[in-house]
Order: sequence, then C-alpha cells, then structure tokens
Amino acid sequence: MSAVVENHDHHHGPKKGLLRWLFTTNHKDIGTLYLWFSFLMFLTGGAMAMGIRAELFEPGLQLMDPIRYNQLVTMHGLIMIFGGVMPAFVGLANWLIPMQIGAPDMALPRMNNLSFWLLPSAFTILLSTAFMEGGMPGFGWTFYAPLSTNYPNIAYFVFAIHIMGISSIMGSINVIVTIMNMRAPGLSLMKMPLFVWSWLITAYLLIAVMPVLAGAVTMLLMDAYFGTSFFDAAGGGDPVLFQHIFWFFGHPEVYIMILPAFGITSHIISTFSRKPLFGHSSMVYAMVSIAVLSFVVWAHHMFTVGMPLVAELFFMWATMLIAIPTGVKVFNWVATIFKGSITYETPMLFAIAFVVLFTIGGFSGLMLAITPADFQYHDTYFVVAHFHYVLVPGAIFSIMAAVYYWLPKWTGNMYDEKMGKLHFWLSFIGVNVTFFPQHFVGLAGMPRRYADYALQFAEWNAVSSIGAFLFGLSQLLFLYIVVKAVMAGKKATPQVWDGARGLEWTVDSPAPYHTFEVPPKITEQTKL
Amino acid sequence: MRKAFVGLIAATLFMFAFSFMLVPLYNVFCEVTGLNGKIYGPSDFFKSEQEVRERNVNIRFLSQVNESAPVTFYPSSESLEVVTDKVSKTSYIARNNTNKTLTLTIVPSVSPGLAAEQVKKIQCFCFEEQTLAPYEEQEWPIRFYVDSELRGNVNDIYLSYTLFENNRENSMVMHHDS
Repeated sequence: MSAVVENHDHHHGPKKGLLRWLFTTNHKDIGTLYLWFSFLMFLTGGAMAMGIRAELFEPGLQLMDPIRYNQLVTMHGLIMIFGGVMPAFVGLANWLIPMQIGAPDMALPRMNNLSFWLLPSAFTILLSTAFMEGGMPGFGWTFYAPLSTNYPNIAYFVFAIHIMGISSIMGSINVIVTIMNMRAPGLSLMKMPLFVWSWLITAYLLIAVMPVLAGAVTMLLMDAYFGTSFFDAAGGGDPVLFQHIFWFFGHPEVYIMILPAFGITSHIISTFSRKPLFGHSSMVYAMVSIAVLSFVVWAHHMFTVGMPLVAELFFMWATMLIAIPTGVKVFNWVATIFKGSITYETPMLFAIAFVVLFTIGGFSGLMLAITPADFQYHDTYFVVAHFHYVLVPGAIFSIMAAVYYWLPKWTGNMYDEKMGKLHFWLSFIGVNVTFFPQHFVGLAGMPRRYADYALQFAEWNAVSSIGAFLFGLSQLLFLYIVVKAVMAGKKATPQVWDGARGLEWTVDSPAPYHTFEVPPKITEQTKL
Repeated sequence: MRKAFVGLIAATLFMFAFSFMLVPLYNVFCEVTGLNGKIYGPSDFFKSEQEVRERNVNIRFLSQVNESAPVTFYPSSESLEVVTDKVSKTSYIARNNTNKTLTLTIVPSVSPGLAAEQVKKIQCFCFEEQTLAPYEEQEWPIRFYVDSELRGNVNDIYLSYTLFENNRENSMVMHHDS
C-alpha cells in the first residue's frame, strides 16, 4: 500500500511556517489543531479544578472568596465540556474518519478550517471576562435563569456560546456529509467502523440540540438587555421553562460527550484482544437507541422542580430504559475480551478502565434516576461524583486511550510504553481517589457549588483534593510523553498493533499528508 | 453532497426556531393540563346551581417578596375554611418602606398544581400592576371561589403570591478584589 502512495509524484507536502496552520484545509492538520487546542483547554480547566480542590482541601474560606469560587466552578465546567472534551472528539473525527472510510479528506475542507478557528475566538471572549469588572460568569455551567440574567458580563458568555455552537454545528455537518458521500466503494453503512458510526450519530445529536442551546442563550440575552421576560416571573415568564429548554439541550449533550468514546473503546478492545468486536450491529443499534432516548429523559435533571407525578414517573422509567442499550454495549465489550489473546498496552489499560469506571458512573446514574431517591441526592456531591465518573474516566480516558492508540499512526513514532503505563496508573489512582469519596460526602448530604462545607465532611474532602492534585500533575506527564513521541521514538510500522483492523492501518506511519486519493478496496482484513 | 449540506443547514435553522417555539408550547401544555400551578387571568365563569357537591376546603395564604424589594407584604389571615362554589373574600397587606413610589407585579401560584384550575379568582391584585406611594400601606382584597370539580383528595390548597418590584435596576454588581 505504501508503495502505491509514493508513486503519485504530484503529492505535495504541507506549506511551511505558521501560516500552514492558519490556512490549512487538510483534515490531518485540522485534527492536530483541534487536539492541541483541546489539550490546552484541558490544562486550563484543570488548573481551575486545582483551585477548586485547593479551596475545598479544608473547611472554611482559605484562598478565595465565594464569588471567585463560583466563577472557577462555572468556567471549569464550560471549558472542560466545550473546550476540552468536545473539540478533542472533533479532532479525532478529523484525523480518523477520512482514513477509516477511505476518503481523501473531509467533504467541506474550508468550512472545516473555519469551524476550528472559531473556537479560539470563542474561548478568548469567554476568558476575557476574567480581566473585566464584574469578572467571569459565576452561575454554574447550567446558567439557570433568572440568576444568570442578573450577572454582569453575560453578553460575553452568550456570544462565546453562540460561536462555539456554530463551530460544533459546522463540524457536524462536515462529518455527516463526509460519511454519507465519501465512503470507499463497497463500504456500506453497516460495515463502517464503530468510531465512524458513533460520530455519525453524535453529529446528528449536535445538529438537533446545539441550535436549542443557541436559542436558550439568545432568550437569556433578550431577558438581560432587551426587556423581554422569557424566564422572569415578574414579567410573566417562567424560570422552570428555562430548565426545560436547557436540559432539552443538556441531556443529548451528555451523550454527545460519550458516544465517540464508545466508538474508540470498541476499536481498542478488539485490537488488543485480537478478536473481531462482538456484536458489531448490536453496537450500532444500541448507540442509535441511546441517541433517540436521550431526547425524552431531560427532566430527570429537574425532578425537584415540582413536576406532577405522571411526569416524574415517565422521566424515571425513560431514564432507566437507557440502561438497556448501555448494558448491551458493556456486555459486548466484555464478550470481546472473553477468551481473547489479550495484551495490556497503554491504550488497552485506558480502555478497560473506561469500561469499569464508566459502568460505575452508569450505576450511580441509575440510582439518581430513581425519583424518590433523587430528592435526597439532588444537588449533592453524589451528583458531582456521578458525572465526573462518566466524564473523566469515561470521556477523557477514552480520549487518552485514543491518543496512545493512534499516536504512532499520526507521528510515525512509538510512544514510551513504560511512561505511558506510569501515566495510566497515576491517572487511574488519582481519578478514583478524587471522585470515589465524593459519593460518600454526597450521600451524607454535602451540597455542591459551595466554597465551604460542614466539618464532618473534612476528611473525605482532604482525600479528594489529594487525589485531584495527583491526577492533575500526572497530566503533565501525558504532555511529556506526547511531545517525546512527536520528536523521536522507535519507528512505527504501518500496522502498528498486530491485532489492529481497519483502513487507517493500511497506510504508512506517519500517515502521509494525503491518503486515499484513489479509493481503497474493502477486504475482510480492512473491515472492523 | 449539496443536498445533504442544505438539508442539514435547514435542520439547524429549524431547531433554532424550535427552541423559541418551546415557549408557547410549554405555556399551552401547562394551560391544557393545568400543571405547574399557573393561573390564567380572571375567571368570570359561574356554574349554574345544580347538584353542587359542597364541601369544605382549607385555603392557606402565603406571601414572598422577591430578592430585596423594599416592601412588607403579608396576608391579613393565614388560612380560611371555604365552601366550594361559594365566593370568599380576604386580603393582603402591602407597605412601601421607601420614600419612592414603587410599581409592583405580584405573581400567584397554586399548590398542588393540579388544583390550580379550580381556584377561580374574581378579583385579585395580581391581575394588574400595583402602585404604592412613599411609605403608603394598602390593603389589597381578593375574591375567589373554589370550584366543586376540585379533585376529591385535595383538602388543603396553598395560595402563594410573590411580589416583584418592576423596573428595578438589573444590577447584581459583583464586588470583589482579588
């Protein structure tokens, strides 16, 4: 395959200098930009988390006033969701989707460039509020109205969200158009690799709900500056309506942040178990069901607003129903591992940790879905523990697994396996020490979003903070490992991992600047 | 490819419009089902006197002042035993604690929400904006009845009023020096 590629002598490499990155329309360059940007945001949001955990290390106010604390909590959430997890998945989509479906590039390369470059502007606007009078938004990432409409600098927040939303929507349109039109001949939808499938579904979810988020922030802006009363009871509006609109976006949003992780995990587990994935089609149907169900469960975030019993029951049962397709996925991963010839390279370690820890997060989610119990858990650290278990060892572990797994393909060099394993174990221990105790303090009644807490929660909070510092610092090791692999390392073969299947492993490592200008033949070997 | 692109753009625009459609949809939904404890305007509907299943219902009156509106606001009686379909009368007291004239909006809410539709108000200070001169105290009457179609298991109804000051500066200025 590599010989074929080199025979095209009209191939040109990338432009030289910094302008390459500004004007690039190459899916690999844009993927790289997205991934580095999301890593920068991950460190920024992470630094804020360190501030939060430092303040919560012991009871009382030590480092900051409660207003600053609320700002850090808010910005941590916004940055990690919109700047960390989502752009990282878009970066992976850019790198991998064209290579996995045998396409030369994304379908709309210039729009691709624009959708990346909107992101730095959005986050510059959002972060610029830190230097203004009134400061950063401090109303929580859920920006419940009418609290948020009374904050200063809300217009910056609103426009930043608008720009991020436009970026996500353009990215999604690009993904869908690419997958629908540019698959190699013979690659039918049901034969598509699962990462591609997971992104196809995610892209549809994004197109369905990002405009709703845009609508919500627009109404917020109008309430704050144009005298409307969408959410202000004094003018006939309804604050509960805000929560309905927000969570109509918000719940599909949490699946947007996990579906691509499902795709990644399926690839990695199959590779290192040296077995084809168990139940490929059932995985697809499970993801589609999860996506569809995500539109009818939003009110489980607001069981305590005073909904009538019928509504509480409906949202409880609908939420519990999601455990079924999710259970199918977990079962399939375990069945893939079963009787496989397993080796435990770093990506596999992260993928296994993903399955185990994501499942823990799923179970605590099931507990939260039980309406009467939720009245006790609502807005406590139990919720914080739940969603961090599905987002940190869930989404973020899968991103790290993906980086280790495909890094040799991107850079042409193997990463340092010993260091990779060290990074995994530090992260694994750090994440559990941080978030597991939060289940305990949550069940004991510690409320979330406060800078201070009652004395009886002191021990577990200290433990949690120590875990957070361990987790935070070990991510610098991740940076070191990635930079080292970019610079040098053992040369990777095109196949890289001996159990790997799929089209991306048929091209050279590092992948040439242009791949699959001639559509490849789909064979049993290249099918996942 | 163009078709897919245009279709997706259209879907995006539709969903943006849909988010605004949710506002009237939500209100219609609440009105039709009577959920959410909302009350929709004055009621001028009296039932013809036929086979009325009279019973006693206990009405409790609550008052809240939103954020820091400089007004004292409370019901003149905390609760009232009423007979269904019979018009009752009570009042709320409001006092302006400033030397400025205040315009006020009072938003009612009924709990349990499913009883909201059966609480029929004939006269209420919540129907229109109220004005209080500096340091003025006013007594605001309400006249209402509870429809006998009230669900059998509802014996206590909470009638709550939240008072908002209009045209208040939207300012929650964050002071901190760090």
